[in-house]
Amino acid sequence: MRLSYQKRITLTAIIMVVALLLVMAALWMPHIQRDVKIMDALFVIDITDSMNVQDATVNGETVSRLDWAKEFTRRTFLDMPCGAHAGLAIFSEARSLILMNPVEVCNSYHDLTQMLNQFDPHMAWARSSEVSKAVYTAIRQAKEIEPEPTIVFVTDGHESPPLHESLFPKFDGKPGEIHGVIVGVGGEDLLPIPKTNEQGEIEGVWGVNDVMHQDVYASLRSDTTTNVPKARTEHLSSQKKSHLQTLADRVGFEYVSSPTKPGKLVDAIRKVSETRPQTIDYDLYAWFSAIALALILLVYLPYGWFIRTDD
Amino acid sequence: MNLLGLEWFNPGFLLLLPLAILPWFNHNLDKTVAWVNLVPIDPLSRFFNIGLKVLSTGVIAALILALAGPSLPEQKIERIGEGAEIVLLLDRSRSMDDPFAVKHQAAVVSVGGDDSKRNVAREYLTEFVRNRPDDRFGFVFFSTKSVNLLPLTYDKEVVLATINANALGKGLSDTNMAEALLSSAEMFEGQAYRGSRIVLLVSDGGQLLSDEAKEQISRLYKEMNLSIYWIYLKSNQAMTLEESEEDSLLWVDIPERKLHNFFKSIGVPYRVFEAGSLEAFAEALAEIDRQHYQTLIVEETLPHEPKTDALLWLALLAVLLLAASHVYTFWGVKKAHE
Repeated sequence: MRLSYQKRITLTAIIMVVALLLVMAALWMPHIQRDVKIMDALFVIDITDSMNVQDATVNGETVSRLDWAKEFTRRTFLDMPCGAHAGLAIFSEARSLILMNPVEVCNSYHDLTQMLNQFDPHMAWARSSEVSKAVYTAIRQAKEIEPEPTIVFVTDGHESPPLHESLFPKFDGKPGEIHGVIVGVGGEDLLPIPKTNEQGEIEGVWGVNDVMHQDVYASLRSDTTTNVPKARTEHLSSQKKSHLQTLADRVGFEYVSSPTKPGKLVDAIRKVSETRPQTIDYDLYAWFSAIALALILLVYLPYGWFIRTDD
Repeated sequence: MNLLGLEWFNPGFLLLLPLAILPWFNHNLDKTVAWVNLVPIDPLSRFFNIGLKVLSTGVIAALILALAGPSLPEQKIERIGEGAEIVLLLDRSRSMDDPFAVKHQAAVVSVGGDDSKRNVAREYLTEFVRNRPDDRFGFVFFSTKSVNLLPLTYDKEVVLATINANALGKGLSDTNMAEALLSSAEMFEGQAYRGSRIVLLVSDGGQLLSDEAKEQISRLYKEMNLSIYWIYLKSNQAMTLEESEEDSLLWVDIPERKLHNFFKSIGVPYRVFEAGSLEAFAEALAEIDRQHYQTLIVEETLPHEPKTDALLWLALLAVLLLAASHVYTFWGVKKAHE
């Protein structure tokens, strides 16, 4: 298509006037009210010994599962929409301990990360790791928080002492009553677990004879169906994917294994959460300026490179 | 993203900036003439020609920059306020699940109810924090190991959320008072001295401290100019931290009294509030309220300031002139064709 000189001049004049109106609108158009969907999330971070295993990667570097959990949580805060709330808890022994109730994620980002940075194996108050029970306590406590947050449970799923599938601790809540996502961390390979001492410092690794290798209750039973002899590998740890899936199904959570993009986790949280609408002031300036820019660029695009415009 | 001392909300748009030179390579609006030499050399029109290109570049650049959303980063300013820096040291031990201030032994059995010491402490501390806008609060995690969970902050929402979280769930079996006291002092390490510094211990019991811990605590607290406030939540109404004539034999030599005597002996400002009832607790907090209105330097964070409008104004000015010139050209060409 070729435009005559006169038409080009006319179109340019029209575009410039429209662009002028659009820039004026960008400056003076009042903000409109818009509803965004926000969620409340409670991040529970596993700080038990198995989280010290170095088999996670952050920016191409191999780091401990705990470091990965902290870094990934921090980046998830950044990806959550302003207005969303995030709280923090740690898990050790057989319970989740809530340390900060959900707070607005943009305004309080600094303090949230300050607290997150403090999470460390030496905060653990006991040296056991009963993941399922900790998920249950997190659910119980989430019910006491108003509004009820979605639980984001970051763990490798390593149960110590071990659990026999048929002897799962009883969950007395209703599955799905509290929404949640279990975020699995850790690799496929069984690796030795660094052992922390009373001061929380790492001192060697857990030896094969330091840990229990069978469910205490199962080992007391004589029937061979529950008491099958198996390899003694409980002193080693990998991400217990099938266990976490079972656990997630039991409590009605989603299970996400080693997510790579925080945005994906935010989507997963949004999907399971009962989001609530929050009205925010929305400035349309970006739309007006973008359209004005596009129009002005139309005038100056080098059409001559593609078609002859001279006449 | 930070660039040129500004924060950019959508830095990706900056990649479009090269488009701003398009007007200089553009002949869309040129009128083809049979022979260039026919066009007279006209300095004024040359000037206008360049001027229009500058304006076009200006408007494109301004709009792209505006879309990238620059803002001045948050700034911290200092102002003089009245208040204190308070590190909250909340006992999270199991005994805090017991009901607060019962009058007789039988009532002690209702564990974890609404009137538990943990819940009562939460309610009153919430009030306290709300009423002190200029204070900076820190929070120490108080377990077998202590961790400075929340470094001193002005963010009231965060402090309240931490206090609220503290009231959830059951208490921990082991707590280490000496660690917690030392950890609280460390909270002020490397901080400029701004005014009054308080470690506010809220607990329902004491602990025996080792001599080494005692020595460390008294040294550190003196060094850092700390005051100790202890809100002691009594389990039994009649018991007092000071020895008295009517003492029951059970109360002699209990850890609480030893801790009280230790605090008195180390030569730092120390006050104890023995809260035996809700009123007494409220009064204790009100008393701290009155006590610690000292002048101190308060740090305030100014939220980031968007700079988009300035760019839009620039774009507006440029596009106004451009529009005027193009409308004039249009009018001129139309006239010429008539």
